[in-house]
This record gives sequence, C-alpha cells and structure tokens, in this order.
Amino acid sequence: MTELLLQTIVNATYAASYLALVAVGLVLIFGVMGIINFAHGEFYMLGAYCVVALYADLELPFLLSVAAGLVFVGLVGIATERTLFRPMRDNPLGGLVVSIGLLLILQSLATLGFGVRMEHIPPPSQAVLTLREGVGIPVQRLNVIFAAVLLLGALWLFLHRTRWGFALRASAQDPEAAALQGISMGQASRIAVGIGAALAGVAGALTAPLVRTFPYMGHSVIIAAFIVIIVGGVGSLEGAVLAAVVYAFVHTFVTTFVDGVIADIVGLLLMLAVLIVRPTGLFGSRDRG
Amino acid sequence: MRDFFSKRLSRRRLIGAATRASGALAAASLLPQRVFAADNVIKIGFLAPLTGDVAAWGKPGLDGCRIWGEWMNAAGGVDIGDDNYHFEFVAYDNEYDPGKARAGATQLIHEDGVKFIMMLGGDTWPGVQPVADNTGMLFSTLLPSDLSPETTTLLAPAEVHPIYNVTGVDWLARNRPELENYVICAQDDALGIPSVATYLAAFEAAGIEALDDPLLFDPATTDFAPVVTRMLSAKPDIVCLDTAYTDYVHPICEQLYLQGFEGQIISCTADFYDKIIERTSVEFAEGLVFQFPDFDDPALETQGVNFREPNRFFEEYNQRHPGEWGAVSWEYASIMDLWTAAAVKAGSVEPDAVLAAMKEGGTGLHAFGEADWWGNELFGIDNALVGNWPVVVIENGKAVIKEFGNIPEWWSKHGDLLVKHMEAFGQMHYQRG
Repeated sequence: MTELLLQTIVNATYAASYLALVAVGLVLIFGVMGIINFAHGEFYMLGAYCVVALYADLELPFLLSVAAGLVFVGLVGIATERTLFRPMRDNPLGGLVVSIGLLLILQSLATLGFGVRMEHIPPPSQAVLTLREGVGIPVQRLNVIFAAVLLLGALWLFLHRTRWGFALRASAQDPEAAALQGISMGQASRIAVGIGAALAGVAGALTAPLVRTFPYMGHSVIIAAFIVIIVGGVGSLEGAVLAAVVYAFVHTFVTTFVDGVIADIVGLLLMLAVLIVRPTGLFGSRDRG
Repeated sequence: MRDFFSKRLSRRRLIGAATRASGALAAASLLPQRVFAADNVIKIGFLAPLTGDVAAWGKPGLDGCRIWGEWMNAAGGVDIGDDNYHFEFVAYDNEYDPGKARAGATQLIHEDGVKFIMMLGGDTWPGVQPVADNTGMLFSTLLPSDLSPETTTLLAPAEVHPIYNVTGVDWLARNRPELENYVICAQDDALGIPSVATYLAAFEAAGIEALDDPLLFDPATTDFAPVVTRMLSAKPDIVCLDTAYTDYVHPICEQLYLQGFEGQIISCTADFYDKIIERTSVEFAEGLVFQFPDFDDPALETQGVNFREPNRFFEEYNQRHPGEWGAVSWEYASIMDLWTAAAVKAGSVEPDAVLAAMKEGGTGLHAFGEADWWGNELFGIDNALVGNWPVVVIENGKAVIKEFGNIPEWWSKHGDLLVKHMEAFGQMHYQRG
C-alpha cells in the first residue's frame, strides 16, 4: 500500500508540473488581455509537433527540439496577439470566438501537415530512477518536473524583479492606470501572450514522447487547465499553480484508487465546490479591473 | 484542328463531317453489348472514421478495399446475373460521430446510389439505424454488439468482436497454465465495455482469477501512468488491455515496461506492434497475445482460409502504405468477398436479394473458414458469422499465428458465462437503449 501511495504521489507530481505550465500561460493571457483563449490547448499541441518534426523526423537532439518548441510557439503567440487578439482586447465574447476559430485552424494545419494518426516519438530516455522498491520515476518525467519548476521560477522572478514584469502585473491589475503611467498596453499584451503561448508550447514539447501526440491532443489539456484556473481564481498565477497541484493530485488519486471516469467527475465537482464556497476561486479577486 | 477552324465552313465540308460522325455512331452501336456491360459499376459505400481518434480502424480498411477493388476490376470484374460489373468504393468519413454517420448513410444511399454499406459500427450505428430501417439498405459492422432483433439488415460478417477474444484467453490457459490471475483495464465506451464482459467470461471459463475490478478510464486519457500503477499494485500474472485503441495500447505497454512489469500481456489488438517494441524491447513484447495476424503468415496460405492470396495482399498493402498494416486492413476486403459471392449466387446486386443469398442455409465462408450465422442468444438475431479466429503471439519481434480457435465450440461450453457478464454490464440486446 505504501508503494502504491508513493508511486501515485510521483505520478501526480508529474501531472501537476505540466498542467501548471499550461494553466499559468492561460492565466497570463487572460490577466493582461481579458481573453479566454480556447486555442491554448492547440499551443500545447504545436509544441508537441515541434518535437515530432525536429526530434522524431529530423533526428535533432531532444533538448534542442524542446527549446525550438518554446521559441516557435512563443512567436506564434506573438503573431496571434498582433493579428487576432489585440482587436478583441477586453471583448470577451469576440475573443472567445476568435480563439475557437484559431483552435480549428491550428488543428487543421496539424492534420494537413502530419495526418490524424498518433505520432510515434522515440523516447529520449527509458531510464527509470528507482526511489525505493516498487517506486520509480522515469527520467523523462523527472525532466518535466524539473523544467516546470525552473520555468515557473523564472517567470516569478521576471514578474517580480523586472520592469517588464511590473508592467505586466500592473496591466493585469488596472489597465487604465497602467496606461496612464506610460506602460504600452500593446507591448504588455504581446509579452503576455508570447510567454503564455511559449509555456504551453514547452509543456507540449516536453511531454510529447510521454503522451498521445495527435492534432486533437489539446482538448483534454484545455479542459483540465480551465478547471485549474477557475479553482485557482481567474487571473491569479499563484492560484493557478496551487490549483494545478490540487487538481492533479485529486485526479491522479481518484484514477488510481477508483477509476478514471470517476476522476473526471470528481475534478468537475471540485470546481463546483470551489465556485459555491468561494466564487472567485482560491486566489481570485472580485473583478479584473 | 486549327486548320479546320481557320477555314470557312462550306456546305461540302459540313456534309462530309456529318457523314463521318454518323458513320462513327453507327459503328459504335454495332459493337458487342458486352463492351458496355463492362461499364456497369457497383458502388459500395464505406462509412467509417477516416480521421480522428478511431481512424486506425477505418482508413486502413478503405486502403485494403481499394486494393481488393483494383484486383477484382483488373481480373475483369464479376458476372452477376446477365451482367458484368466492376467495383467502385465511395467513402464517407463519419469521424466516429453518430450524426455524421447518419448524414453519410443518407448521402451514400440517395446521392451516390450504393448497393451495400460497410461500417465500423459501435457508437456510430445508432445514428445510422433509422436510415437502415427506412431504406432497407444492407449494412455491415465490425462490431456485432450493434446487432439486435431490430437490425434486420445489419450483418457482422467479418469480425465477431469481442467474442473472438475468448480464443486468446483459452489458448493462454492451455499453454501457460502457471498464470493464475489477471487485471484488466479498458476505455469506458461502446467498444471497451462489451469486450470487458467477454474477457471476464473467458478468464472465468479458464479458471484464471480476477485480482481487481476492471479499471475503466476516460477515452480522453493521455497519461496512463496512474492506470498502470493501479493495475500493477495487485501484482498480477496477466495484464489484459481489453479492446483498447492503438493510441492507448502503445502508451499502456510503455508504462508497463517503465513500471517494471515482466508478466504476460493479452490484448485484442496490437496494431503497429513494431512501434511498441521500439518503445520497450523485444524481450518485453515476447509472448504478447492478441487476435490480429499479419497476412504474410504462412498459416494463412493453408486450406480453409477464404481470403484471396493473403500473403500477396499483405505485400501489396505494405508497398502502398508502409508501416500502416493494422487489424482492419483486411477485414472490409474480406466482407467484400462474402458480399460478392452472395451477389453472384443471388444474380442480383439489390440489398434484399444479396442478404437472402448470404444467409441461405445458415452458413457462410468466413475469412478463416466455414462459419455459422449465429447470435440469437446474445444479440437477438442470427446476423453474426461465427467460426474460427486466429490466436496471435509475438515471437522474436514478429506476430505468429499459433492456432485458429473455434468460437462456437467455446460458446457451447461457456455461453452461459458470457451471457452472465454481458448482462452484468447491460450489454445484452434487451438491455441496450
């Protein structure tokens, strides 16, 4: 039983790591732009396909492919902000429609480029770190956890220790006041969407050899990410990280000790309970402005 | 031609041209009728998922049918009644969605004029059934769990999924008697649940103990580590993967490997098993039992197998679609063999005549031998063609047919167990909605 508990904790920690990366990116985009990005799961998918193209097909080193995924999806995010999201700034309904359109376009492009079948990505490493008898973690999963901690730590430092970080937080808290202080809202939006997309992209790239990589892989991730940001409090980065951990642990434990279908229901019930007890989420403020 | 138009059209030239044209038309009308008869085309509908999660059980089947059609047409087509026919497949991608399947069936029947429609079935059949009821069109499914007393024009002529899974368990029990217990996981859908009931019955019949309840997972699952952790916590001799889609079988096998499982794996399918080996090892995959052979297997060239040149078909398929051979690559083509034989026998391509000819005498030639039209006890209608089914084992990285298990024989001994488990999961025809 102890082995089962410890192995489940290991599994949940991995799930929390990549989910936190995706959810924090989603929060960042919503916080600064006020847009609910339904295509965020497709940013995750794009990152995974960077690994398919560069690592599996062109046989470039895995880490280089992951880095390329981060940069490429970040650039896609910046382009998206300039062409699609900025005209819809603070227009939640318009942003929603645009992001759904983007979702369909990105899925179609992936289908056209790679086909609909699951991609077979050779594992970069099949080494397993044994923590104790019956409890182990594949090195590939350990790398995802390390990368998530590293990237989220770097993001925290960026937001709390740099001028652009202050500007982003100010833009999220009160866009008008931030603009009056001379902060370029366009620049802030571009950075927020670029970083948000890059985080989703790197999550997809890192996990590509571990999950089913196919054009519709963003669906399940985006649903989990939405639950996470609602539980954490829409607009709260700290809330997103905490909620990702809570959700991943609840989901993984219920999957392991009950079954996966019940786990999905429990995940939704968790969101419902938080909305009833604390409608703004664990760390959410009453409104965005 | 340019010369002709550059000159003025005189009366002499007009009369000359008209005479030549009339002569050509008259000559054409004197050609043997046979030449025109060969232009008769039977349109066959292919209504299956060609994109999306379940495409692996649709698209390879269409590819196989196209090879079958080209071979048939190249051989001069087929004589049905007084006419000679060639084949044309009209495909419609239902994306494994009941609504799209209904739209596809309507289009294939009313706009394309098909005479027979092949489907994967499963979740898509309820969308199509009203169309079948209204038109009397003959359909086939790969999933007999679609059958019920109301589905009078639906046949399961190639695959008796999931009933044939009993042959793998039976073989395992006889050949590896040291295996005493098992765990099973499955996706919670129309394909997974009846298969769980079948495996439970087969293991019970074989005297192999279940260590845990079946572990069901959401079809949207992407990380299978928790599922595998739970299964391995029971320390089973056998892990059964049920009828999991290819996209699940591969990551589950990888997780079994990474979490240190060294026991026996049994699965309905192991499509692209070379990729499983790539992600694990030859040693890990050794002995994996499943139900779908490669068609280069010499056992398929033996007497009693009713599939035209299986080894050459496999070679041709792999030349055209390298690395894409899967469970259904041959199945729809084998249904076409059965349909063609029935149409020849009936002397007609009309659905009701073909159906009557196909079921005449209560037996038919299945791909793996003679078989019976069966299913009344389980499905409420004898529309499933049941006979032998291969048990396949991976040996040294290659799928090998170990035997052809006899499904009716198993049913005669253990049918009550299957009914019991099907009832427990609400899968009997009188329990389905």
